[in-house]
Amino acid sequence: MAEKLIFYILAVITLWASVMVITRKNPVHSVLFLVLAFVTSAGLWVLLEAEFLGIVLILVYVGAVMVLFLFVVMMLDIDLATIRAGFVQNLPLAGLIAAIMAVEILLIVGPGNFGLDAFPKPEPLGAEVSNTRELGLLLYSVYIYPVEIAAVILLLAIVAAIRLTLRRRPDTKFIDPAQQVRVRKGPDRVRLVKMAAEDVAPVVDKGDAQ
Amino acid sequence: MLDNYLPILIFILVGILVGVGPLVLGYLLGPRRPDSEKDSPYECGFAAFESARLKFDVRYYLVAILFIIFDLEIAFLFPWAVALGELGLFAFWAMVVFLGILVVGFIYEWKKGALEWE
Repeated sequence: MAEKLIFYILAVITLWASVMVITRKNPVHSVLFLVLAFVTSAGLWVLLEAEFLGIVLILVYVGAVMVLFLFVVMMLDIDLATIRAGFVQNLPLAGLIAAIMAVEILLIVGPGNFGLDAFPKPEPLGAEVSNTRELGLLLYSVYIYPVEIAAVILLLAIVAAIRLTLRRRPDTKFIDPAQQVRVRKGPDRVRLVKMAAEDVAPVVDKGDAQ
Repeated sequence: MLDNYLPILIFILVGILVGVGPLVLGYLLGPRRPDSEKDSPYECGFAAFESARLKFDVRYYLVAILFIIFDLEIAFLFPWAVALGELGLFAFWAMVVFLGILVVGFIYEWKKGALEWE
């Protein structure tokens, strides 16, 4: 009973946050509502006894991906007035496309894919079953090939991100501490030269010259 | 299993209470007499020079995305570490290959200077 109550609370918050994501005017607020949706989704996953996925959702999505989203949103300098400009005149076409997409989704995932008759509730697993261990056992025996493909995709992401965003700034002035530390006493530093004192220059009396 | 998460649920509820409680108390108890000067944005007491919505440097994005990639790598490591005792040598070498591919990327970003800030 308590589980059901928690599920409904989390589900309602998830749906509300998702609607807020697409209706907020400020994109930063949208990203923060998306964070809320992810947190409550993680709660739903824990309710499904998939606690590893729930924790990864918090760790990777909330902790890292949403920070990236915030950076992107803040980098883009979005001018909301220009985005909203064509809202009314584009509304009919956008509504039509949305309706077509909704019908397509309904045709593929129709009502037959939902309900407790088609998918009976799984039995509770008990405290001794570790979701993380089960996942590891499957991932590194049956699904080892997709795991290695995932590594290659991550490598691709590293290379692509560096190629797209790495900018050299030759004009920036900065101090390299490594070079500072490496300075030797002899040739690299200011050298003090001792020399004999010279005679004082003779004083010229300006009054006589006139 | 879910019984084990009851302390976490209580922890979350207490956390929400501690976070929201002072705001609600401040809203209910604090005096509010707003005027246009109080509500206008300011910088150190004088009028703002420019919009606070500054564009971020793209280099933050690069650092963040490189962080995410290795964060995801961690997500792959946890189930592997838990199940390694039963999986044996095959899984060990599979993870060595996995990490090897990512080390290639790490060497690439190091040599490219993507980790330098200048």
